[in-house]
Amino acid sequence: MSYDEFLAGEPVIITAALTGGVHGKETTPHLPETPEEIGKAAAEAEAAGAAVVHVHARQPNGERTFATERFQEIDDAIRRRAEDVIIQHSTGGTGAPDADRHLPLRTDPAPEMASLDMGPLNRYDHLTSENTRGLVDSLHAEMVERGVKPELELFNDGHLNEAFGLLDRRDLANPVYGTLIFGPGTLTPPAPRNFLTAIDNLPAGAQFNTLGFGRHQLPFATMGLLFGGHVRVGLEDNVYYRQGELATSNAQLVERVVRIADELGRPVATPSQAREILGL
Amino acid sequence: MSCPFLDYRLEANERQFDEPRAYCEAAARFVQPMRADICNDRYDLAHDSDCEIYLEHAGAADENEGENKREPENGTENRSGDGDENRAGSGEDA
Repeated sequence: MSYDEFLAGEPVIITAALTGGVHGKETTPHLPETPEEIGKAAAEAEAAGAAVVHVHARQPNGERTFATERFQEIDDAIRRRAEDVIIQHSTGGTGAPDADRHLPLRTDPAPEMASLDMGPLNRYDHLTSENTRGLVDSLHAEMVERGVKPELELFNDGHLNEAFGLLDRRDLANPVYGTLIFGPGTLTPPAPRNFLTAIDNLPAGAQFNTLGFGRHQLPFATMGLLFGGHVRVGLEDNVYYRQGELATSNAQLVERVVRIADELGRPVATPSQAREILGL
Repeated sequence: MSCPFLDYRLEANERQFDEPRAYCEAAARFVQPMRADICNDRYDLAHDSDCEIYLEHAGAADENEGENKREPENGTENRSGDGDENRAGSGEDA
């Protein structure tokens, strides 16, 4: 994908990352945590222009859970309000046993998509989410078995090598779909030259999604739009609308990027168009 | 065993919640849900090896042996904190 795709007016898929698993309502009261809150947020995000919703599961007090049953409650709550939006489950989970990482794939029906973290990343000062190749392969195998499209989460340039390694080890359905992630810590440093290098280094024919954390969310979403990529926004990745002003909802962040896409002449993909682009 | 600095509170620091949430008495604030898993030694996590707040404050608590370790009013509550709120939206576990 490149500037040529932008010029060609290819539709952009907008993903809304609704809740996450790191921060919660202690950080912003606007973050949805319960299944009902997540279902409502998903419907609002879809109405604003999101074709995909990326979800994590939480206990009633906001703490993480990987239980299939909780993901099922969330999916059911989403489907009561949003029949068409593509549901993408997270399989991420710093510190969680590998067996638990498979649980989000086992809802009925299975999610259409799921994230696949492509390698290690550090958390806080003493933790690393290892994401070994063995775990990546076992998650991918279950995704194939259950008909789930993997979203390769590329936290840094080294994970691009890991994506090529995965392609060597396993058959990935076309198109390969990866999210380029920019921000602090283990993530790719958020500089435009790094973005351009990353898209140059993607596997041939891959579709890419663009994710900038915190204050980098809007500029990197805009770069994604300009270079023919797709974009992810939402309160999981950024709780502010602008400096010092909390975003009031996921939909607010989606609406903003839809406005920018419209100004740039980039059509926003419906869920049906997104399914066609991603080969779901 | 959970962290001795862990408490569950409905309100503190002018914040109120419907469900009791993890509160770190050493840092004197509610903590992120992911950090609460460390506080609870949940999954493969352990507060005495994985939490920088515990590691920083445990030594100070040991020096005051005989005092209640769960008591935050030991002069440490405002020393540093872990900066969780500054990492909000910094991702790293998408």
